[in-house]
Amino acid sequence: MTNRPRQLPVHAMMIVLSVLALFPVYWMIVTALKPETEIFSTALWPKAPSLENFGYVLEAIPMLRILWNTALMASATAAAQVLTGLLAAYALVRWPFPGVKLAQAVIGLSWLVPFQVTMIPNYVLATELGLRDTIAGLVIPNAAAAFAVIVFYNAMRSFPKEVIEAARMDGAGASRILWQIVAPNMRPALAALTVLAFISAWNEYFWPLLLTRHIENAVVQIGLEMFMSQEGNQWGPMMAAATLASLPILALYLVLHRQIIDSFMRSGLK
Amino acid sequence: MNRRDFLATASAAALLAPLAPRLAHATMAGEITEPVTISFYDYNLASAGLGKEATEKLIAGFMKAHPLIKVDAIAAQSNEILSRVQADLVAGDQPDLAQLVFRDLIYIARDLGAEALEDLAGEELAEHARGMAPKGLDLGKVDGKTYGLAFTFSTPVLFINADLFRAAGLDPENPPRTWDEVRAAGKAIHEKTGKGGFFPGAYGPIDGTFVYQAIAMSNGGMVREGNKLTFADDGAADAVVMLREAMDEGSHARIDPASHMDTFQAGELGMFLFTSAVMSRFEKSTAGKFEMRLAKMPSFGDKPTAPTNSGSALFLLSKDPVKQRAAWELMKYLTSKEAYTIITSEIGYLPLRLDIIDDPKYLKGYVEAHPMLQPNLEQLQNLTPNVAFPGPNYRQVENMMKDAVVEAVFGHGDPRAVLKAAQDQAQPLMPSS
Repeated sequence: MTNRPRQLPVHAMMIVLSVLALFPVYWMIVTALKPETEIFSTALWPKAPSLENFGYVLEAIPMLRILWNTALMASATAAAQVLTGLLAAYALVRWPFPGVKLAQAVIGLSWLVPFQVTMIPNYVLATELGLRDTIAGLVIPNAAAAFAVIVFYNAMRSFPKEVIEAARMDGAGASRILWQIVAPNMRPALAALTVLAFISAWNEYFWPLLLTRHIENAVVQIGLEMFMSQEGNQWGPMMAAATLASLPILALYLVLHRQIIDSFMRSGLK
Repeated sequence: MNRRDFLATASAAALLAPLAPRLAHATMAGEITEPVTISFYDYNLASAGLGKEATEKLIAGFMKAHPLIKVDAIAAQSNEILSRVQADLVAGDQPDLAQLVFRDLIYIARDLGAEALEDLAGEELAEHARGMAPKGLDLGKVDGKTYGLAFTFSTPVLFINADLFRAAGLDPENPPRTWDEVRAAGKAIHEKTGKGGFFPGAYGPIDGTFVYQAIAMSNGGMVREGNKLTFADDGAADAVVMLREAMDEGSHARIDPASHMDTFQAGELGMFLFTSAVMSRFEKSTAGKFEMRLAKMPSFGDKPTAPTNSGSALFLLSKDPVKQRAAWELMKYLTSKEAYTIITSEIGYLPLRLDIIDDPKYLKGYVEAHPMLQPNLEQLQNLTPNVAFPGPNYRQVENMMKDAVVEAVFGHGDPRAVLKAAQDQAQPLMPSS
């Protein structure tokens, strides 16, 4: 009780920061509800709010199909990155070999290779393999991520070796040790990385831009671009599409927000 | 990484390799006798509500008329479409037909392997071109040959906020005809309403090179003569100096060049010089907000204006004789009277075939119902091709010129010196012969 006056400035600051963080989301939704003649109005609420822009988006592009494609692509990418990262980190920690440091360094360095460098070679390969315009083509080049390997490697290194040794002496094989002992104890890192990989894949733009040839096979960032052009942007429909695109991520967050915050705090990820 | 970086990277990567080495010239097939599929890159397809629906209608109409030809239409934004075509070429997947913008014309003709239509179609081209605006056909020519068949294009027109004109005591019935009148009106609007006077959409990041070139060429300037850059020379530089003086006196609005269209649509700008392709969008967004009018682009005194073209041409890239025939048939269909009726009335571009304007079967009714088209149609008499830059560094050269113009108009230094410095720096990037 005695601390309450001192906490007031802190709370005031937090309220201001929350408003700053939430206002763009609010403005996106309000703009989506505005008719075309009010798009450039700075009023905080439209005079005649309507769902017209949402209807237009659903009519102009196959938005539901696009959202499904994106969910599929983001889920598959996140799952693949977690799986490959976990296996690679386990191998590096469990069976150190001469040059393991070099292997780690190379994996770490590959994280620094910009997308521009691999973009064209990947595109050529995807073309040869017939992966253009497919969800598989969007997922496979991103199925392994150096960041995932590094996160899991560091998490596994701090896992007590004695537990692994005890399991081994009890006759557990490498696979059983990974899936029944190590992985369940790495839940925070696994959850945090899954969420990060999912969001990152959901927001992916350049690779889908290059690979997608038809709108029905597109992901959401390409769908949003359909309302932008050199001849001007259609702000109302674009904000409606952006709102629809944000809903799955928002729903995921609302359902899992405690676990997500927990995961980030416990795994030390920000 | 923003989109511009992506494009620069993709372009650079693709430019490093010879994309389409000149192949032995195959003769186009005389007719289509078996089913064939051709790929068609199109940027109107990537604009929902603007060009997508009309283009889909055109392609469906073509496939109905040519049941043996299937068109695999690929949508890409106009500022990304060249990179996409380059990527396909690098991957060994030759696109057959592409809608590409005029600024890349020379690169497409000389380095991307586009076919010269005179060589490919010969008499068929001459026959198809009958009824087309001759100046429109010139837009796609390089070294005297037609590599790009002008498709969707428009010219800069002056959009006017009639309400701001009245509020400033001006008569929107008599819009400014010269740059002096534009400056006077812009100053009055700015002083009496506090809104922006005028703004030419001649600066980036939205491509405004064609507007800048239209202004420069209307004053007798040129951005290059052969391989010699001339954008800092008298005619072109004087035009930029005029814009700078307008900026300093307050008639030229000092707004973010990236938001010029939004500023006009918000009712914050008295006059806006930009492509007529945005007319239908502006009509919708300004309805009930303010009265919009259109006028021809302003002139420098009595000098004739030089409205240049924005927009695109169709380029035939296929090397397969049968696909070449299929692509040529599609080109003809997309530039037919029927197609231009759809393109003009449903997208808003100018018709390349002027004989359909007075024909009740085609555009007569539409033109009568949309009197704002008139200034744009009148300007076609003076249509002046946009000047593309040659050589592998053409984009860098163009960007240096654009940046210099922005600095000269928006900055505080001597505009002539700014342009001269940029010209001297860019000249070594031009081809030497």
